[in-house]
Amino acid sequence: MTFSSKSKYLFLAFCLLPTFLLFIIFTVYPMLGGLYYSFFDWSGTSANKTFIGLDNYIRLWNDSIIKKAIINDFFFVFVKVIGIMTLALFFAVALTQLKIKEAPFYRIVFFFPNIMSVVVIGILWQFIYDPNMGIVNSLLNQVGLTEWARPWLGDKTWVLPSIAIPAIWAGIGLFMLLIMGGISNVPKSLYEAADIDGASEWQQFWHITVPLVWPQIKTSILYIIITSLNGSFVLVQVMTGGGPGSASEVMGSYLYQRAFEDFQFGYGAAIGVLILVVSLITVLVSQFILKKEKVEY
Amino acid sequence: MFVIKERKQTWFLVALMSLMLLLVACSNDEESNSGTEGNGNTEQSTTPSDNTTTENTGDGLSGTLEIQYFVGGYGDGWWKQVIGDFQKQHPDLKIVEHAGPNINTEMNTRWISETPPDVVYIDGAGASETQMIAEGQLMDISEFAKGIKLENGTALLDSFISPAEEVDGGKIYSLPLVFDTWGTWFDAKWFEENGWEVPTDFDSWISSMEKIKADTKIAPFVTTGQHTQYFHRGVLNPAFAAAGGEELLNDLNNGVVEAWKKPETLEVLKKVEKIAKAGVIDSGFAAYNHTQSQMNFLMHKNAYIPVGFWLPNEMKNDTPDSFEFGFTPTPMNDPGKPLALVPDIRTIAIAEKSQNPEAAKAFLEFIFTEEYAQAFAESTGAIMNMKDIDLSSNTNVQDFLKNINEMINNPGAVHTYKRYTPDAELQKIAVEITNEIKLLIIDILLGDITAEEFVDKMVKKAEELRK
Repeated sequence: MTFSSKSKYLFLAFCLLPTFLLFIIFTVYPMLGGLYYSFFDWSGTSANKTFIGLDNYIRLWNDSIIKKAIINDFFFVFVKVIGIMTLALFFAVALTQLKIKEAPFYRIVFFFPNIMSVVVIGILWQFIYDPNMGIVNSLLNQVGLTEWARPWLGDKTWVLPSIAIPAIWAGIGLFMLLIMGGISNVPKSLYEAADIDGASEWQQFWHITVPLVWPQIKTSILYIIITSLNGSFVLVQVMTGGGPGSASEVMGSYLYQRAFEDFQFGYGAAIGVLILVVSLITVLVSQFILKKEKVEY
Repeated sequence: MFVIKERKQTWFLVALMSLMLLLVACSNDEESNSGTEGNGNTEQSTTPSDNTTTENTGDGLSGTLEIQYFVGGYGDGWWKQVIGDFQKQHPDLKIVEHAGPNINTEMNTRWISETPPDVVYIDGAGASETQMIAEGQLMDISEFAKGIKLENGTALLDSFISPAEEVDGGKIYSLPLVFDTWGTWFDAKWFEENGWEVPTDFDSWISSMEKIKADTKIAPFVTTGQHTQYFHRGVLNPAFAAAGGEELLNDLNNGVVEAWKKPETLEVLKKVEKIAKAGVIDSGFAAYNHTQSQMNFLMHKNAYIPVGFWLPNEMKNDTPDSFEFGFTPTPMNDPGKPLALVPDIRTIAIAEKSQNPEAAKAFLEFIFTEEYAQAFAESTGAIMNMKDIDLSSNTNVQDFLKNINEMINNPGAVHTYKRYTPDAELQKIAVEITNEIKLLIIDILLGDITAEEFVDKMVKKAEELRK
């Protein structure tokens, strides 16, 4: 049986073509469609569309809510990257290096939020923050910190951090497993050599673990940035609807409001294009900042 | 030879998979028009006795009649009943129901592709009559509507509590089916037990809230901060109407700059500021969605809540046995002046591109009867938009509804004002005005801005939109 180069390419096409077709139908086509509709005044409910050129983009530029939404989005990006990466890294190190007997149990516990629907997480945390019967205010009242109790999701100052906490909680597990995979590939001999040389555990962490799992850390950070810019709106939509007022509005929730509640689908599509552009720029800049030579010992 | 044969097989497989993908992606749902979908929406068809015919048989209608209706707080019991009865009368007609809480979104592609259903009940998220009229999606039924007579010979157009709206110089595009209105709810039994008077004007409302607060230590007023249209439509609109009538109500919502500068407008906002300063609003309101605020109300954590007519039906599974719903038009009126009610009428219409307009018209004519108005009150706990329907002797109708019905049909103590459907251009302004009010409601109720600041911001917004 001989395999000509043609049959090799055919086999490759057989493997790639279905995925490529799916990608074209469900990613490229909607993306181009979104770009196309952003040049129209269209309600999204009928066949009538009017071409208005760049008007939606000019409007975007002058929209004060958009500016606020971008700032809120980057608040989530920043807080989630710091929060998730710090906790995921420390948990991963703890579960792999500290020889904890219950490690498999903790691995499941930390990963558990990842298999829950984001909507369920949002509703769950809505109850946790409930001003009357929520566990947060009840605990604060019980320990005598009554003045700290507040309607967390109804407070313009505290609403963003209050949404960020479940977002971090729900994100740790996946990245912890990713980093654990990286750590398990680090040769044990490196730690043994470091021990003999008298390096402390902190020094081992900073000089062996972090440089060697840097590819995993970098991938995780980029993934958090992308999912945050594209997906923060689910938690926002469920927990606050962008409120109080516009205090927790993100680009995604504003897109939803404009396209599906205000019947301004064209403008919504322009917001979608903005999300794409902002995500691309952020990822490119992040990749540049996170650029680091691969370390091998 | 082997290579060629293998290549053929591979291409055949690739082509087959691509075809299947396309079929899956592009298939429409016409084939599967029965059963309940995962999201609670239903698409059901009733097959005619002889489904091969598409012609009229005798006086009955035939062909297919597609009906789209939103199922929200009022449920779908009434729809099932009327559609079932209509089917019995026209056995050769195949009726397809498109119904559910998300049906407006799901049917959107049908409207975009200009193959809409025949009849549409316009209600719920994702449906806007203004938008549909502006897009030319609804049929002009002026002549047909003028010709409809009830069983007693009265013209249907003269039998509505809130009249059918005439737009574009007298054209009628829809019939007002449900008399929905916003107002303020309380527990009538709890009020009676505690000797609390039901307020009839703003002063007595504030006094009532202060008394309830003193008696029970609760914050008497709650509303949902996540959906501020409840406060906008339930409190602000009746207040604007009570202060300046239909003109002020419509001008303010349409962003007329002069209307926002009027002293009556500031007076209304001063009243809102007074409520905020009196400390009678639930401190957590800004965090609540509508269900949370309604649950708190049912649990007596609050005493007053502005919601529409659907509240008792929507919350019937969570309502304590001892709870007795009481309703009053929101008392934002000055003493001595009538209470103001601003109905939010839900309409039914025929699609301009209806494939079976005769059946659609027959269905519209069929549903406006006293029998179905009584049935509507029984199954939804709300009122069908028909005058002089005597609910008092109907034992299946709840007491609060009988009182409301009596109140509406007796225009002495309560005055009804209409918020007219703006045209397409005005609608764009109205949307932005609503969005701005939405933001400022939170600010004023939290005590972050004064009535004057509210008005100033609205004037600025209206000027910007009217430029």
